[in-house]
Formats: sequence, C-alpha cells, structure tokens
Amino acid sequence: MADFDLRRLVPPHVRAFEAYRPSNPDSELMRLYGVDHLHRLNNNENALGPAPTVREVVDSFPPGAVPVYPNGDCFDLRHSLAGRFDKDAERFLVGNGSCEVIASVIKAFCEEGDNIVTADRTFAVYEWVAEFSGIKARLIPLKDMAFDPRGMLDAMDERTKVLFVCNPNNPTGTYWDKATMDAFLDEVAGRAVVVIDEAYCEYVDRDDYPDGMSLVERHPNVIVFRTFSKMYALAALRVGYLCGSVEVVDMVRRTHVVYSVNTLAQRCAQAALENDAPFIAATRAMVREARELLCPMFDSMGLEYIANEGNYLMVRVPMPDTLMYRKLMRKGVMVRTMTGFRFPNWIRVSLVQRPVMEDFCRAFGQVLDETA
Amino acid sequence: MQDRDQSVSLKLAAEARFIPLVQGVVEQGAAAFGLDRGKALRLTMAAEELLSHLAETSGGVAVDLTLTPGGWCVRADFSFVADPSDLWAMNLAAREDIGPGKSMDRLGLLLAARMSDGFEIRLDGRVVHLELRQDHAYEAANPRPVRVVDARGEVVMVDDPEPALIREACALAVDHYPAHLVNETFFTPGKAADMVARGDMNAVVAVDSAGTLAGLMVWRSPSERSVGFCGPYVFVRGGGTAGFLEARMLATVARTKAVSLFSELGTDDLTAENYELLGRLPLGRPGPRGDSGLGDGPEGVELDIRFRHLREDSGRAVWAHPSMRSFLEAAYDRLVLMRDIREADHAGANLPERSVFSARLRPELGIATLAPMVVGRDADRAVADHVRALTRDGYRSILFRLDLAHGWQATLAGSLADNGFSPRLVLPDAGMADVVVFLHG
Repeated sequence: MADFDLRRLVPPHVRAFEAYRPSNPDSELMRLYGVDHLHRLNNNENALGPAPTVREVVDSFPPGAVPVYPNGDCFDLRHSLAGRFDKDAERFLVGNGSCEVIASVIKAFCEEGDNIVTADRTFAVYEWVAEFSGIKARLIPLKDMAFDPRGMLDAMDERTKVLFVCNPNNPTGTYWDKATMDAFLDEVAGRAVVVIDEAYCEYVDRDDYPDGMSLVERHPNVIVFRTFSKMYALAALRVGYLCGSVEVVDMVRRTHVVYSVNTLAQRCAQAALENDAPFIAATRAMVREARELLCPMFDSMGLEYIANEGNYLMVRVPMPDTLMYRKLMRKGVMVRTMTGFRFPNWIRVSLVQRPVMEDFCRAFGQVLDETA
Repeated sequence: MQDRDQSVSLKLAAEARFIPLVQGVVEQGAAAFGLDRGKALRLTMAAEELLSHLAETSGGVAVDLTLTPGGWCVRADFSFVADPSDLWAMNLAAREDIGPGKSMDRLGLLLAARMSDGFEIRLDGRVVHLELRQDHAYEAANPRPVRVVDARGEVVMVDDPEPALIREACALAVDHYPAHLVNETFFTPGKAADMVARGDMNAVVAVDSAGTLAGLMVWRSPSERSVGFCGPYVFVRGGGTAGFLEARMLATVARTKAVSLFSELGTDDLTAENYELLGRLPLGRPGPRGDSGLGDGPEGVELDIRFRHLREDSGRAVWAHPSMRSFLEAAYDRLVLMRDIREADHAGANLPERSVFSARLRPELGIATLAPMVVGRDADRAVADHVRALTRDGYRSILFRLDLAHGWQATLAGSLADNGFSPRLVLPDAGMADVVVFLHG
C-alpha cells in the first residue's frame, strides 16, 4: 500500500488549529459525575421555551415530511423574516445556526493575507473560523469589559475585510449604544464589512441600544446576525440568519451551503416569530428575576461579577474556573468555564427559572464553603 | 536564500569503522554552527560514545545522523528504524545485557548523557531517536545585592520584549530568588533570551510606568497538550505584578492545544487561587556532573506541583494496574476528576521478551525521568537494572512516568512497586491521558 502523507496534504493553518471538542452528552456526564440530574447553565439556552406556537409545530410535524429534502434556501422563513422586518426576502440568508453564516461571510470576503478584526474576549467562533481558514484574526482587548471601537479602528489596514462586533457582547453583556455604533460605522466608512452579531438582542430592553435592522438601511457594508437559538429557544434545531443589502447578501450566498437547515427547523423558526411578544416578555421577566437572585448573593459573598445584558452573567470565583466546574458538576449543575474566553477563574451562568437558580445558589455556596 | 538553520545530515551504518567519520562531521559541524571548541569536543565525544554503543548493540543498522543548530544549542540526532525485538539496546542499561565482562560504569548511553547538556531517547512510530544536545557557552549571571523598590504607577506587560530586556529580567530573577526556584536558563540570560527568540520558551515581561522591570514569567510546552511554567518572578513591591503576569500567560495559552497547565518552578508569588495543588516532587540535587548552577542546592528539597485545566473536564477512562488503584481513587476523589478506572494486568498476555524505556536525563540536577516504550516479560529486571545503573551514575532522583491512556504502560506499575517506586502524583492530561509520576526511594 502506498504511503499516505497526511501532513503534506493539510495546510499549515489547519494543522496548527486545535479542534473544539464539545462536552460529552448529558447522559454520559451524569454517569461520570454520579448525579441523577443536570441543570444546564452553560450554553445560555432559554429554558422557558419553546413558545407554544413552536410546540404545536413540533407536535404536529408529519413523519411523511422526513424523507423529503427541506426547502434549500429557507424560502418561507426568509419571507416571514422579510415581513417581520419590512425588508426584501433576498436580504436574508439562513444558516444552520449563526456559526454557519459566520463561516459563509469569512469565505465570501477573505482570502490569504486578509484579516478580520474583533475582540479578544468575545464569542470565539469568529476567531476560530478565521484561523482555520488561514485568515489572520486581529484580537483587540476589551476596554472596560466592552468592545473598544478605537482599538478596532486602529487595527484596520487595507487587508482588513470584516470587523465582528458582538452586540451585546457574549460573555460580558456590554453593548455599544447608538452613538458609539454610529460613530464607529462612520469612521469605518465602508472600508470593510461590519458584522453586528445580535444573538442576544431580544434580551436588551434599552432605549439607546442600536437596532441592526435599521443600521443595514443606512450602511451598505453592515451585516446583522441573529439567531433562533437564544431568545426563541430553538437551540437544538440550529437556525441563524443574516441580513444585509441585496448586493452583500448575494455575495455571501455564493459561499453558503444550501439545504443546511432542516424542515422542522424552518417551520419552527417561522412559528417562533408569530406573536412572540408574550414569550419574549416572559423570558425577560425570568432573566430579570434570576439576575436579582444571584447578584445580591455574589455581593454578600464579596465576589466580583459582571451582569449586564443577555440571559447570562459572569462571576469570578476564588479557584480555577475549571475546578469550580467539576465541583458544581458533582452537584448536578453545569456552568461554562471562562478560561477559553480569556477570563480565567470566571464562570458564566445562564439565567433561567427560579427553582433552578436556587439549586445553583445552594450548590455554589456549598462548593465555596467546602473549599474554605 | 539558504536557511540559516540548515542541518547537516549523514547516512551511515552503525559500525565502528565509521566513528572517525562521525567525529569529523560532528566536530566540524558543531564548530560551523557556532559551538566553541570545548563544547564542540564534548558533543563529538558524546556522539562517538553513541555510535560505539550502536555498533556494539545494533551493529550494521542504517543510521541517520542529523546535526541541527538550534539558536542556543546544537543537537545531534541519531535515528534509525528498529525492529521491535532490537529496541532493548536503547535502554540505558543495555550494555549489561550484551555479555559478560562489561563494566557498569562504561554504559555508553549514560556516558554520552554525562557529556551532554541534554539527552533523550524517544520512539516516533518505529523510528528510534537518540538525541544529544550541547548548548552554546553563555556568560553566567551571578546574584547581585537586591534592593526592592515600590512599583511606580501602573504595571503593564511589554509586548514582544526585546532580548536585552529578557536578559536583564533573567538576571533580576537570579538576584531576587533562591537558586532552586530560578529557571536554570536564567543563570545564562543570553541563553534564555535566545530560547525565547527561537520560540523554544515563552516569556512575558512586566514594567512599571517608569520603565522599571517589574516581573518575568516563562513557560514552555513539554507536550502538545500541556504547558509548564516557571515563576512568577516579581522584582517590585505592589502593582499586582504576579497577577498580571499569570493573566497574560493564561490568555496566551487559553486557546491553544494545551489542556493542562503545570508549575515546574512555582514561586511564593504565585496566585494560589489560580491553581490546584497536585502534590510534591523533588527539585533535584547535585548529580553526576555537579555543575548545576544551583549553587549548593537545597539537599532533598521538594517543590509543590500545581496545575489547572484550561478546559472543562468531561471525564475519561484510564488504565491502572491493581497495585495503583487505591492511590488513583484517592487522587481522583481529591481532585474531583471523574475517571473510569480500568484495570490492566499483563498476566497471560503475549508480551515481548524485552522492555525498553525512554529516558530524559538532567545530569546537572541528578534527575532521571523514565517512561516505558515497550513493556516486556523482563520488566521487573529492566526496572531494577535502570535503577542500579542510574544510581551508580549519580542520579539521585529517579522518576518514572506512566501514561494511563495505555493499558500496557499501566501494567508496569507492578514492577515499579516491586523495585522501590511509589506513585507520588497524578498529572491530569499531561500525556495522551493522565500521567502518574512514580518516585524511586
């Protein structure tokens, strides 16, 4: 048999990249940690969901639809989005979660020698996709826990193709207000594409929060990302989308794989948009209540925390976050460690229903007591 | 353009008649790569011992000799494809096996190690590598009187510190810290700076707002999945220097392939809450070459080994010999590490005749670290032979590392226990899986 020289075939940037390894399934984790339940507070899922309209779609999904390919470019869903945001359906592109549209954007605009600019402590997928695509990711340190517009602008050069702004930022929950965003976009002045990732926008109830759907009308270089995984609680179905000008979206579509969003996901996403106000209000109330439970506890413990927008907060623990993770897992609570986000010794906690939050508080307090 | 690091290679058969050829290539090649005459001669003599050993134990095997400049060192790598049944000859104690009348103090591999600044035997697939390293001669730093000053203004990290700054930081670490806590390369600051420039060591340097050096921390990757650090070394009062240094290191390694971070030489300035305590290991004591640069070195001193995971631990299965099960269970329970322990015993297994152990020797510290490459039917005797040979050669800290990803490695724990080794600590994810470190005596 001929020798197979794998190293010769794989580009250096792929060889150097470390693949992300997701957690084991809950059942395996529960067995290993010897627990009979697991509160998932690690992925910012909306435990209240899905909305009743979505439940109906799931319950009535016809088995006969299973052997049939989904619509290849989410025709109905894009038209629902068009109606919702009063835009042309051609301005939307739907993917298998936001991760897929991140990859499509980078593939559409970047080639060898180009770079993207984003923050050092934000959603890691921008950086990952760039690096395993051979594109340099310029990571600008957060300033006061928020994206630093001046730092990002200063990092731009003629090879900068895309700037990724996570607004509000995951994991700090900070956001650029309208004035900051407008000033930033004015100074970018169309020299690069600006992606505004609004994965958590539905959790923000602030007058000064800029609406990306309006910004795309004034700035042809802006692309907005949104997702059905967070507020709309469709994480298992993986539906994310982008919106931009017809011209920009047409370019991104060229690098986007069709048929990647399954039929059930498309139908559920459509259903999620129907009369969503009560569900959003209920979710916001749940998050608010959870935040009001946790923050005073952290205050009483003298622990530093960051609780801004989004359905999550971060707290700094007096031990490695990875150790806190294991100790909480042994009590049936799963949180997200933040070392990988470059916040060592911080954990991120999803904000969910009160009984679960109370379980978290109990387990968290026990771990600290045991450690002391 | 010619690569400034272009290696010199030689293909030859492992036969005594080629010794002069190897001598010539190594001596002249080392000189061409900048080693001074004394250092080049030491490397030459070590290479001669190696080829002599190979000629005696594996006569005629096709050997690739590669001489490579490493910026701060020159490496001579003898590699060859070995039949598994011949691998035993790579044991440090191998010459004892080849016939009567061989003196234990003439073990060729140990002699070669004694003349080198670094020596390693490792197996890469079916290719055996015997690697000698000779470092360039650098000016030594001697401790100077210390005057600790307060940090002025904000302490900040220096991006891409220039070599002169690294050299000065190393010298300050020598001034401020007991020798046994100082990374050995700092005693020759030029070497440390060259290692950083080559990417063989990572360094972060902190200064205060007046430009005064505030601290230093270094780390390296002993394996693809682990990082080992020394420090933090802090030279000013206040300013939170240690925390900044550690934060920079953590931010740098957080999104790499590394899974675990270990302290190799953790100072008292280290932020305890950043790590978990694994246990203690001997620091090393004056060994067969007595030029450690550590001064008198604290006899018998042990150092805390600290660690942190860089990712969430999802649990895993590990192999264990029955003799180590209770140790592992206690260690895993204390560390809250979820492991399925599978027992491995070579009883009834179709084992090869001979065992082969890799070795990393640090003669200046008297530390020998062994690991199994092959575990054979002679495991008990092979362990005993290695201990005897190393002890006679002056190595006073003999460590054995078993990677619990492999059942065949775990089986060796029985032989280790029978020969005076005891498990000291578990290094989570330090190898393909967790590594258990055994200490002799």
